[in-house]
Amino acid sequence: MAALCAAIAVIAVAVPLAAGISLLGTVPMGLLAYRNRLRVVVAATIAGGVIAFLVAGMGGFMTVVDCAYIGGLTGIVKRRGRGAPTAFAAALVAGTVFGAVGVAALLLFSRLRTLIFETITANAEGMATVLGFVPAFERFGQMLRDVTATMLQYWPLLILATSIWSITFVTMVGWWALSRVLARLSGVPDVHKLDFVDDARPVAPVPAAFRDVRFRYPGARHDAVGPVTLTVERGEHLAITGANGSGKTTLMLLLSGREPTTGTLERPGAVGLGRFGGTAVVMQHPESQVLGTRVVDDVVWGLPPGVTVDVDRLLREVGLDRLGDRDTGGLSGGELQRLAVAAALAREPALLIADEVTSMVDQLGRDGLVDVLSGLTKHHDVSLVHITHYNDEADSADRIVNLTGNADNVEMVTTAPAPSATAAPVHHAGEPMLELRGVSHEYSRGTPWASTVLRDIDFVVHEGDGLLIHGLNGSGKSTLAWIMAGLLAPTAGSCLLDGKPMSEQVGAIAISFQAARLQLMRGRVDLEIASAAGFDYHNHRRVEHALATVGLDPALGLRRIDQLSGGQMRRVVLAGLLARSPRAIILDEPLAGLDVASRRGLLTLLEDLRRNTGLTVIVISHDFLGLEELCPRILHLHDGALAPVTTTAGGAS
Amino acid sequence: MTAVPPSLRSPQKPNRQRRPVVLLRPVPGQSVVHGLWAGTKLMVVAGIGVLLTFYPGWIPIGLVAALVFATAWLARVPWGALPSVPYWLWILVFLGGVMTVFAGGAPHLTLGGVTIGFGQVLNYLRITSLAIVLLGLSALVSWTTNVADVAPAVAKLGRPLKALRIPVDDWAVSLALALRAFPMLIDEFRVLFAARRLRPRDPAVTRRERRHRWGAELIDLLTAAITVALRRADEMGDAITARGGAGQLSALPSRPKWADAVALAIVLAICGLSLYVELATSLATSA
Repeated sequence: MAALCAAIAVIAVAVPLAAGISLLGTVPMGLLAYRNRLRVVVAATIAGGVIAFLVAGMGGFMTVVDCAYIGGLTGIVKRRGRGAPTAFAAALVAGTVFGAVGVAALLLFSRLRTLIFETITANAEGMATVLGFVPAFERFGQMLRDVTATMLQYWPLLILATSIWSITFVTMVGWWALSRVLARLSGVPDVHKLDFVDDARPVAPVPAAFRDVRFRYPGARHDAVGPVTLTVERGEHLAITGANGSGKTTLMLLLSGREPTTGTLERPGAVGLGRFGGTAVVMQHPESQVLGTRVVDDVVWGLPPGVTVDVDRLLREVGLDRLGDRDTGGLSGGELQRLAVAAALAREPALLIADEVTSMVDQLGRDGLVDVLSGLTKHHDVSLVHITHYNDEADSADRIVNLTGNADNVEMVTTAPAPSATAAPVHHAGEPMLELRGVSHEYSRGTPWASTVLRDIDFVVHEGDGLLIHGLNGSGKSTLAWIMAGLLAPTAGSCLLDGKPMSEQVGAIAISFQAARLQLMRGRVDLEIASAAGFDYHNHRRVEHALATVGLDPALGLRRIDQLSGGQMRRVVLAGLLARSPRAIILDEPLAGLDVASRRGLLTLLEDLRRNTGLTVIVISHDFLGLEELCPRILHLHDGALAPVTTTAGGAS
Repeated sequence: MTAVPPSLRSPQKPNRQRRPVVLLRPVPGQSVVHGLWAGTKLMVVAGIGVLLTFYPGWIPIGLVAALVFATAWLARVPWGALPSVPYWLWILVFLGGVMTVFAGGAPHLTLGGVTIGFGQVLNYLRITSLAIVLLGLSALVSWTTNVADVAPAVAKLGRPLKALRIPVDDWAVSLALALRAFPMLIDEFRVLFAARRLRPRDPAVTRRERRHRWGAELIDLLTAAITVALRRADEMGDAITARGGAGQLSALPSRPKWADAVALAIVLAICGLSLYVELATSLATSA
């Protein structure tokens, strides 16, 4: 949250034109004060303030402090359940206090005050003199002079009044925004999973014996898992497989300390999350697993003060030696996850749970990660529970448990596959549509941080094409996608749609980003689709039609965005984009984070769309898996350049 | 760590000639300045800030400017590190200068029969250079400091405050996490703004409609940003729980060394000289 506030401060500093947005810097702080105690707001202010200071100097720091002062106030008023009048009264008081502090500060800094006032007077004087040259404006010049002089004479009053006015104004704007945001946020699910468990027994998580264990989330109508009977033995490598919704993650929660609803779960001692000899968990999102800014720092992050570990040995074990001084921000997904494993091993855990650690990682990273994991039980006295939806990853385990739960994919109506005999004409030889000529791109050009991400890219996308741009992490494929969508103008070369630069026709080619949630702005599915496609949401028929295009139940239209699953979010994004009948659609990692069934469903949908409507599809991915049918043409991107061989796979379509 | 992409800075066509603002990333390479303890740099900036607030005279400003240039030279910061200044800012600064010329003021200069008073121009120049020098000083800190060193330095600097039961360690932890999350959030905001650009604008005719739409759009953006940040915070919270809570921040112990003592001595000398000039000699310009 502090980072959020700092980011808003940054945006406010970086975009002087949009200075209005800094008014809303109070909202995140308000939210923080609404949900937490004052000391949290103070900590966030310090953190945000230091960041803003590093970015924009003292001015940035003061902006954050102001935001925290006003935001904290509105948040606390809101938490107490009071209304706008209370907020208004509080703002008046706060403005008076702030103004008094300002006056006191200026009294103290007498020399700076003199300088500032002299400069203001001089500016007014100069302006008045200039106005005096034009006879008609002479009067205004004198007025300006007088007003400035009067204002500076009564400066303490002026500052007090300005402070009261501006703080009240900003508070009321913040109050309005916070109320609206809170109303919208009420449906945001709390996705946090792990909780500390208070257990005075000595730490000993394994062997853990499940006997007829069932677990039901509060308020749910079905068991999330169970009945399960199994034992996690000491030192074994156990793989747990199953589709989304089969209860794999719930099993992880049980192992890390949740009490089962029925049945018994016995272990010799306490779970000891993150303790020495206890339980360590590595989860799905690589970026969120890593907490340190530098690789070596992350390994020790959170260890009790005074404890030393052999960081080099741990990094060597996960294959990250010599990367110790690197910024974690520059690591690939696979490297981040291996780093998280190293940090887990620093605690010499008796039980290590890897929960879907490979699902957001490219193929190369996945191989490396699986190698590291499968070696663990041989070199350490640790039980490894590896939860995965890839069957091949489970092969290296001593034992595999397959969970068969009731998958919660009821609303996902997969469209019936079109009969292959009536396949539409092949669109291969369509007209050239999107042309990239000598496209290169360099970020931060002209600064010491300049980095070239794309070099001399040449290719043409034809009408009705199915193109896969394949590349590993850091190959520049996302930048290429942004250029093709017109969101970035390349620093050299051109990207033309119908002969005109793409960057002047943003929106003509649709793009779906990897993080679907960021593309969903409205609170409800029908509002979202209508807004993305540019029609009135009262037009139910069009909403229903858009939902049907992507194989979603029309009843989903009234659902809140934050109640959708990952696969559904991606489809809603597609529905909004396709409803505008774009010339082509770019999909950035469309399959990341989806389980096997959702993947297959989405792929079938896209294949049908391409075949039946002649939609041009460009997929950006680090994966080939199952994409042959959708994208017969493949381009390989390596280190920002196209690899010489352009394969044409699966020319059958 | 992150460059503000053109799309964040202006919703229109990105200007290719502009140098972007690069945030929280040290200038590549090693130097004496890079090697200084982060706490020293923070103390220096704070100390000089206080000095210039109380005594904004020409000599203190000049001395600090010399310090800024010397440090930049030592740290081998190239001119390219400076972001491009928008042209309207130049125009504004210039106009302000022109206005003050007409205000005249004490030191008069006669050029070919025309007498121009330079007093107010000098004042104006003084306050402008004060702002630039202070900005340059804090820019130098972010150009030469690895962000990973900032939080441990804050923890160490704040240690005396612990006696007052102020939770300095908590602050350091949240600062470290905020710095870690900063580039991720900037990336997410970047996507958010891009997604907004991709959307069609429905035509709003009246001013009221336009204002209404503007407000709704703002709330949408804000909600999306906060939702994303909350999710990120939840996941990071899980990762922290999985590690048994907060504790150590850094594997490489950092503490002030001899170079830091030298740097502090230089800065103290500058402050002392400035104070002497401003308080006890006729060269004082800040009163």
